[in-house]
Amino acid sequence: MSTSVAKVDVAEVEVQEGLWAAIRGVLRERTAMVGLTILTLFVLMAIFAPLLSPYDVHQASCTVFEPPSRQHWLGCDDGGVDMLSLVITGGRISMIVGFAATLVAMTIGGGVGLVSGYFGGWVDTVLMRITDYFLVIPDLVLMIVISAVWGPSLSHVVIVIGILLWTGTARVIRAQVKSVRERVYVKRAQAIGAGNWRIIVRHVLPQVGPLLIANTVLTIAVAIFDETALAFLGLSDPTATTWGTVMEHAFDRTAVSAGAWWAIVPAGVAVALVIMGCYLFGQSIEDALNPRLKVAHLSPRSWRLRSLVGRGPDAL
Amino acid sequence: MTLLDVRDLNVWFDLSGDREFHAVKDVGLSLEPGQRLGLVGESGSGKTTTALAVMGLLPSSASASGQVAIRGKDLMPGGEDGFRAHRWTDVAMVFQGAMNAFNPVRTVGWQIAEPMQAHGTASGAAARTRVGELLELVGIPAAAAGRYPHEFSGGMRQRAAIAMALACDPKILLADEPTTALDVMVQAQILELLTRLCSELDLALLLVTHDLAVVAQTCDEVAVMYGGEVVERGPIDQLFHSAAHPYTRALFAATPDLYGGPAGGSGASAEAADSSTLLAVQGLSTSYQSRHTLTDRIARRPRRDVQAIDGVSLSVAKGEMLAIVGESGCGKTTTAQSILGMVPTSGGSVLINGVDVTQLSARQMRPLRRHVQMIYQDPYESLDVRFKVRQTVEEPLLVHGIGATRAERAALVRTAMERAELTPPEAFLERYPHQLSGGQRQRVAIAASLVLEPELLLADEPVSMLDVSVRAGVLALLDRLRRGGTMGVVMITHDLSTAAHFADRIAVMYLGRIVEQGTAHDVIHRPQHPYTKALLSIVPRPDPRERSLGTILRGETPDPRNIPSGCRFHPRCPVAEDRCRTTDPVLAPPKHPEPGTVPAHVSACLLA
Amino acid sequence: MRGSDYLVKRIAFAVMTIFVAVTINFFLFRVLPGDAVSNVARVPSATPELRHALRVQFGLDKSIWQQYLIYLGQLARGNLGISFSNQQPVVDNLRTAFANTLPMVAVGTLIAIVVGILTGVLSAVRRHTVSDHLSTNLAIAFYAFPTQFLGMMLLILFAGVLPSAGMSDPFALGDVPLGEHLADLARHMVLPAATLALTLYGENTLIVRSAMLETLGEDHVLTARAKGLSRRAIVRKHALRNAMLPTVTMIGLSLGSIVSGAILIEVIFSWPGIGSALYQAVLHRDYPMLQGGFLVITVAVILLNLVADLAYFRLDPRITS
Repeated sequence: MSTSVAKVDVAEVEVQEGLWAAIRGVLRERTAMVGLTILTLFVLMAIFAPLLSPYDVHQASCTVFEPPSRQHWLGCDDGGVDMLSLVITGGRISMIVGFAATLVAMTIGGGVGLVSGYFGGWVDTVLMRITDYFLVIPDLVLMIVISAVWGPSLSHVVIVIGILLWTGTARVIRAQVKSVRERVYVKRAQAIGAGNWRIIVRHVLPQVGPLLIANTVLTIAVAIFDETALAFLGLSDPTATTWGTVMEHAFDRTAVSAGAWWAIVPAGVAVALVIMGCYLFGQSIEDALNPRLKVAHLSPRSWRLRSLVGRGPDAL
Repeated sequence: MTLLDVRDLNVWFDLSGDREFHAVKDVGLSLEPGQRLGLVGESGSGKTTTALAVMGLLPSSASASGQVAIRGKDLMPGGEDGFRAHRWTDVAMVFQGAMNAFNPVRTVGWQIAEPMQAHGTASGAAARTRVGELLELVGIPAAAAGRYPHEFSGGMRQRAAIAMALACDPKILLADEPTTALDVMVQAQILELLTRLCSELDLALLLVTHDLAVVAQTCDEVAVMYGGEVVERGPIDQLFHSAAHPYTRALFAATPDLYGGPAGGSGASAEAADSSTLLAVQGLSTSYQSRHTLTDRIARRPRRDVQAIDGVSLSVAKGEMLAIVGESGCGKTTTAQSILGMVPTSGGSVLINGVDVTQLSARQMRPLRRHVQMIYQDPYESLDVRFKVRQTVEEPLLVHGIGATRAERAALVRTAMERAELTPPEAFLERYPHQLSGGQRQRVAIAASLVLEPELLLADEPVSMLDVSVRAGVLALLDRLRRGGTMGVVMITHDLSTAAHFADRIAVMYLGRIVEQGTAHDVIHRPQHPYTKALLSIVPRPDPRERSLGTILRGETPDPRNIPSGCRFHPRCPVAEDRCRTTDPVLAPPKHPEPGTVPAHVSACLLA
Repeated sequence: MRGSDYLVKRIAFAVMTIFVAVTINFFLFRVLPGDAVSNVARVPSATPELRHALRVQFGLDKSIWQQYLIYLGQLARGNLGISFSNQQPVVDNLRTAFANTLPMVAVGTLIAIVVGILTGVLSAVRRHTVSDHLSTNLAIAFYAFPTQFLGMMLLILFAGVLPSAGMSDPFALGDVPLGEHLADLARHMVLPAATLALTLYGENTLIVRSAMLETLGEDHVLTARAKGLSRRAIVRKHALRNAMLPTVTMIGLSLGSIVSGAILIEVIFSWPGIGSALYQAVLHRDYPMLQGGFLVITVAVILLNLVADLAYFRLDPRITS
């Protein structure tokens, strides 16, 4: 129960907003827009990768570890392949892997969260216990073990990341579904005689939708991060060009001792930018949905004193 | 010199997009030692903002001007920091909702002692002694200082909040809705405590509330706020009898008085007796299973189920309104949920038009749901914010497959909205809930029930979340609906005044049982059960001459997991005898019926 | 819930989780596609004798449930099998590796927690100011950079200044005084620990900041202000204390990222710890080592989680109600 009163007085004049309206509000925020713009640019880059790559990534176009130049903006790797082309092409597969793994994770996490939160009871207990186990077991280690057993392949990477990244989402969605389920309008719909399916589709899903979107975006970041980690450990398809394998090759083939920072920086910065974009966008949505962040009883600035110019008894 | 002198106080809040909201406009207030002033207004009137401004506690989005002087010293020019030294030493505050006012991870004693240390009034052992004294002063054993807020009951927490406010011997106490969300009996206890402390300690009290009756019972003077302005101020007697401002008059008119006005029951119950019984509840029991975890089982702790209601019997005829009255936890809402078939019952029957719905499966129940509809307490929560009014009212039709075409359904929606007095319907159909006032939202919820043409309407505290001035309208609507003769209404309320005004019959519940039931007139004017008598005696009356301390019961409603032996009420009963501890009374007519009493008046008391 | 119930529950959960991890560990290597039989065949340079030894070691002729019981029995006796690569007991290999990992991870994590709490609190208290924006954006950047990228960057930047591989100077042969040995160890630890601290600090800052912001919106902070407490006192006595609750939970949950970070960092800096051991096991298809490494790391994380739960128990009095 929120009893902060100064808030109540203001709430009377500020329009109470629905969830989607809150998201529209998010888009007006600078950080969210920055995040969304970064993501959009990278998605476009991935889609049009073949058109954008200046060189073929399977052929050497310059000398080994050639530094950045007018012909090769980002320099070349150990095999004399153009770095810019590698980053653009690698982005395509990295992002496909990240998005596909996220799709797997969100399907499991969203489904488990929805079923667990809506139906409760022993179904909830069992599902949450399983979730707790997965939550505690360190992701990357299990991923390493599974990929090592299955052998390196991109589809294995997708599945392994997907089946290990759903736990957080399941918990968040479950909590939200549980709270929506306790809302009076859901109770009212039940009292009217609406069935579970109708309530889920009409009332519950639209309420958890924004949160699911926020979680999806945040999971994409983790999936891409994990892909680079697995690739770095040699557990991705070694023949595929991804941001992870580009960094791995650089490390393996002594880019570090050669001081060829241009073989490492482009892919690393690309990954960081995508993760940053996901974080800024996803977190803005989550923050907008969190009512507890809207009030601050202690802020760096205190209330202001207004001068009485034009007011006072005379002004009345 | 005036103790507190507020002049030309103005407060603005920054809103998004360079707009601002003028929340408090040229407000002037003053307080002398020992004086008790009530600040009354509806939500959004600026009353709470005024109280916060007096302590310099405005949020950072606010700006303010004017004077807030304590003993002649204007604190406003000093800004937030200028106020700090005076907080708690001169002006202290009791916040609404004591649960959130305390830090959950610090002990109550620590939090009471904290301001003493901050202001240097006491420390160490002296502070500990003072904490003990303060707790005793508000009726809490000193030993409870080491406990955490969550270990206190709601009433105790509010008492502790008062003790905390007194920590540094303030001269002025601000109390912001100190009794809202508390049960009527606890409310009476807290108000009595505040009044007593003010006279004993010569404290000046500023009581911020929406409830005129509470002010009439506790304050000498009242200031009425509306739209950020004080529209009227004066001694409470004077305002009650000859308010100058139309808003004040409307506010008094909208505050129901227990014995004033026509009793709703007059005549209607006689009509109702002829018509067929719509709802017949017989010996209904409902229990909630407590969580019995594996660790409980290993530790061999007994399973303790909560018997929420135990052997409740009542009936409602078409055209009749029954009010179920009781404190929170008495089982009144569970009764409604059981009738609605939303919780599994453990015994007894619920006959609706002769069909026992407790025997039906969920699937069999679904088509019957349209006959019984429920109105919920919180109109801000009971509508899906993403649905337009039209969609909300239409949804029940879609669920039950009523109205083959869109046009057919539109006509039904219009009719329902007209019956709920949302006229013209076109003005509301395309609006979203946030574009409606609380009263309008509640009417939309009512329309969404009426569209199914139910025979029984269950209304769970239908107006308690609404502003005083719109309550009467919604209640009058429910009254007119049932007087149409096709519908019966069960209204659940904690407010005996409302029940007295609108219901034909009243059932008083205590700890899962009905302890008294009869016509509204009989229950209000000739109460039999000591619990009913106590409840009646503490109802705040808007007439300041009717100020009485009443029979304030000690303690709070017992835990339903721990039901006392014998008469469930005996631990709190002012007249209990030895046999009450062992003998469980049954509902029976009074042994010495007064002349003219309808025999349907029953109570469960050995002494009645 | 009673306090003792909470403790019993958390401990029981930890034990159960360890059991689940053990079971996953067993079946992953036997049942999933690419099971032990084919894996054994893929072991490079495996002689027929070794293959036979492995078959016996894995008990591959018995039924899967018998194998499972044997595995549990061996585990109970502390037998994790023999490493393919150096023919030493896996337990011994892991013991050394674990002892090497511990100081580096502890130092890095500790720095990240201390710095994260400081910057997170300052950011929250100075919300919407320039310093908040700077600190938050920096935190997001470090959260976003892949660990291996940060590690490699530090390697390039500090090549020659600080030791870049291993945990001791390979040329310091013979008896080295203890002080000198520790100083050498510390110098080797700078880069890996710094990388770990940098990757974790960002996440910690963001966690603490949002926990603090939530706390500052709670009504008891308004009460504290009303009581005339100074800003500093409110932050110290109320906000910080309460914000520790979600922070402990989230740091408990971020143990996974500590582990991932540590693995990548050990590979980059050739730190002879458990992460390197895991990496070498993957490279050489050394399944007993892989299995053992997974088990040791998982059990460590589960136990640390239990510690976080117990810390929460100390911090939140509401648990006992």
